[in-house]
Amino acid sequence: MSGREVVVTGLGLLSPLGDSADAFHEALLVGEVGVKPIELFDSSLLTTRNGGEIRPFEPERYLGERNLRPLDRTSRLLISAATRALEDSGWTEGARNGTELSLAVGTTYCSMHTIGEFDRRGLKLGPNYVSPFDFANSVINAAAGQAAIWHKLTGVNSTLAGGETSGLQAIAYGADLIRTGQADVVLAGGVEELCFESSIAYSRAGRLCGGEVGTDDDGRPVPFDRGRDGFAPGEGAGLLVLEAAEAAEARGAKIYARIAGSGSAFAPRRNGDLSAALARAIRTAWASNGAGGGALLCVASGASGARDLDAWEAEGIARGLEARGAAEAPVTAIKANLGEALGASGVFQAMSLIATLGDGRLPGIPGLQTTDEGFPLSGASAAARTVAVAPGALALATAISADGPVMALLLAAP
Amino acid sequence: MISIAVTGLGLATPIGLGHETVWPGLLAGRSGFRPVGLFDTSRHGTHLGAEVQDFDPAAWVRRTPVESMSRASHLGVAAARMALEDAGIDPENLAPETAERFGVTMGTTSGEPLEIERLSDLMVGDRLDELGGELAGRYPCHLIAAHVAAELGFAGPNQMIPTACAAGNYAIAFAVEALLAGRADLMIAGGADSFSRMTYTGFGKLGAIAPDVVRPFAKNRKGMIPGEGSGVLVLERTESALSRGARIYAEVAGYGLTCDAHHMTAAHPEGDGPARAMERALRTSGLSADEISYVSAHGTGTPTNDKLETLAVHRVFGRGTKVPISSIKSMIGHTMGAASAIEAAVCALAIHEGWIPPTTNYDEPDPECDLDCVPNQARQVRVDVAMNNAYAFGGNNASVIFRRPHVRA
Repeated sequence: MSGREVVVTGLGLLSPLGDSADAFHEALLVGEVGVKPIELFDSSLLTTRNGGEIRPFEPERYLGERNLRPLDRTSRLLISAATRALEDSGWTEGARNGTELSLAVGTTYCSMHTIGEFDRRGLKLGPNYVSPFDFANSVINAAAGQAAIWHKLTGVNSTLAGGETSGLQAIAYGADLIRTGQADVVLAGGVEELCFESSIAYSRAGRLCGGEVGTDDDGRPVPFDRGRDGFAPGEGAGLLVLEAAEAAEARGAKIYARIAGSGSAFAPRRNGDLSAALARAIRTAWASNGAGGGALLCVASGASGARDLDAWEAEGIARGLEARGAAEAPVTAIKANLGEALGASGVFQAMSLIATLGDGRLPGIPGLQTTDEGFPLSGASAAARTVAVAPGALALATAISADGPVMALLLAAP
Repeated sequence: MISIAVTGLGLATPIGLGHETVWPGLLAGRSGFRPVGLFDTSRHGTHLGAEVQDFDPAAWVRRTPVESMSRASHLGVAAARMALEDAGIDPENLAPETAERFGVTMGTTSGEPLEIERLSDLMVGDRLDELGGELAGRYPCHLIAAHVAAELGFAGPNQMIPTACAAGNYAIAFAVEALLAGRADLMIAGGADSFSRMTYTGFGKLGAIAPDVVRPFAKNRKGMIPGEGSGVLVLERTESALSRGARIYAEVAGYGLTCDAHHMTAAHPEGDGPARAMERALRTSGLSADEISYVSAHGTGTPTNDKLETLAVHRVFGRGTKVPISSIKSMIGHTMGAASAIEAAVCALAIHEGWIPPTTNYDEPDPECDLDCVPNQARQVRVDVAMNNAYAFGGNNASVIFRRPHVRA
């Protein structure tokens, strides 16, 4: 794929491990685990009482004195991350000189809690007593719309849903919009809030970690570990500021990384078919013009502690990297630290890779002891490591969803 | 200038299934408004809806159990199968390397609202112990695109785009980018939404639902009527469509996506975002406003939308413009995330068939909506270029331009 080269010029995030790219990176490096007892809601009906919750979340710190009442948790998280990303990149409202900013947001539910609250209120009290605020926020693009209003983002405004792959989908789409000239500056990333509604959905589907409800067995999300028993629910928001390389250089912006390529595929039969689909997506990403001849430094996998998905993802990564002789590359799985933040997961993975491309330090996978028999990724390790970063070195983020979509995103050191 | 061919159309609407039924229905001014059947409206101030009638999902969902998916997916799978058959492609006979080059992108407003409504019923009724794994298995909106792809065996890019009532156009724009970038050789692009008590209740609370019929652009218009359905287009690069000898209804010439960044549910008072979307679509198409032969309006029939939409059209086309602009929402209601996809199919058919569907129920003109809205009677006229406009909660605006194949080649 030809067109303009795309670079990352700003980072903004809110995560259970901090609200700055540096704090986030350092926490991952020391193996800090942000998955803790949930305080946001009563988690006693879940197989695990733990989640990757942002605590305390004080939106006023990012949003100031303006009226926050119309905004639910998802919107507040996204707008806060946008504040950080705009400050970091220099694209604050007063500094745009007519440049139009676009937004691509990955999310699975936007706010399933808001949607549920809206409907339950109507059920309990009658249709006349529902909240118009809640109704406005019940559309799945609500957070993207609220962020656009808050930060005056008047360009393309898209919301991309794809479960665990949503965030990488949004970054890939944002980069494509810049390459083809449909947009000049795109805030791309994702958001998800931790809530009862989505957590009970996964718990009842047997996908969360932990044993029987009501027992003390809360489990623990340990990606790739033989004893893994599911993922922990998580939350967060993150946005990368993407722009054309030439324009970024012209305005003297700090360039964190290049978007070297992306690949998107689908597994029609799901299950084991996901491995083949991910391998294809990785090969597509690598075949992009932007990949150049760089060597692969590391992989930020989307593995979450899910029993089957982790195995399929490992298999897909190994098969995708085989042809490049890169199957031994170091592999991380930061959902061990953060839980499964769905729409925000992909951008968390990308931010971790960007930090590693910056200083060569790579987080380990806390809790990882023994992998499955025949586990194909020799580069998965419990310990943090250091790697040597050459200019143009590549880093890969991967994600698969049990529902079929898979994504691969390739970043390059500037 | 973009050159993406529309080679197949699939429709599931409140006035019927398939463009062979829907198109003559639209030209004849058929109405899809009926008393709501899904839920009891006795506590609501209005009682009409636009539901898809006589729809049997089992006729369309073939590779997976019908009950493994919810209603918007049923409608989306049906429209996708129709569109693919219309494009002359048999999904049962796809070589694996072909299937890998075929992708799906679908838009929606609410995804699968019936599933979270069931969760509400269980929570409010203190019956949460009855909840199993089906909520995770049927609710997330990306399942609509996933189910379509699984049914058709499409292994290429797969993208759900929940940008509310402009989502169909957003999905088409996404598919255009995927095709231009060479990420896929064929894309299913469309939208699907299910009728739901949540949507009905919400629009009712906003006072936006008409009690009787939808009268876009008419003086005494009283609102929209929520509906459901699905619209799907098969899109391919024109050269590959030509090389396989496909029938080409129309080509996508360009698009424009913008955001008002003004208010979640109220449109910009000067029609700023919609005007910029139209202008951007014209620019990417290499066309000027006077080359547009037909505009498919967002045209919900609410007092505010139609007035501000007129303002935006004036900004782009000039005050006193004679461009025909009609709203099929007067017949099929507002099908939410499906609306602009269905209307995109209407634009392609208008070009291919040489007819413009009417705006029905038009009685008294409104000086604030002084447009040629093709009142009440379909019009036979050559349509070279059609513009499809859609606006949404969140301030999302999307215009897509279709043109007669090779009209400017």
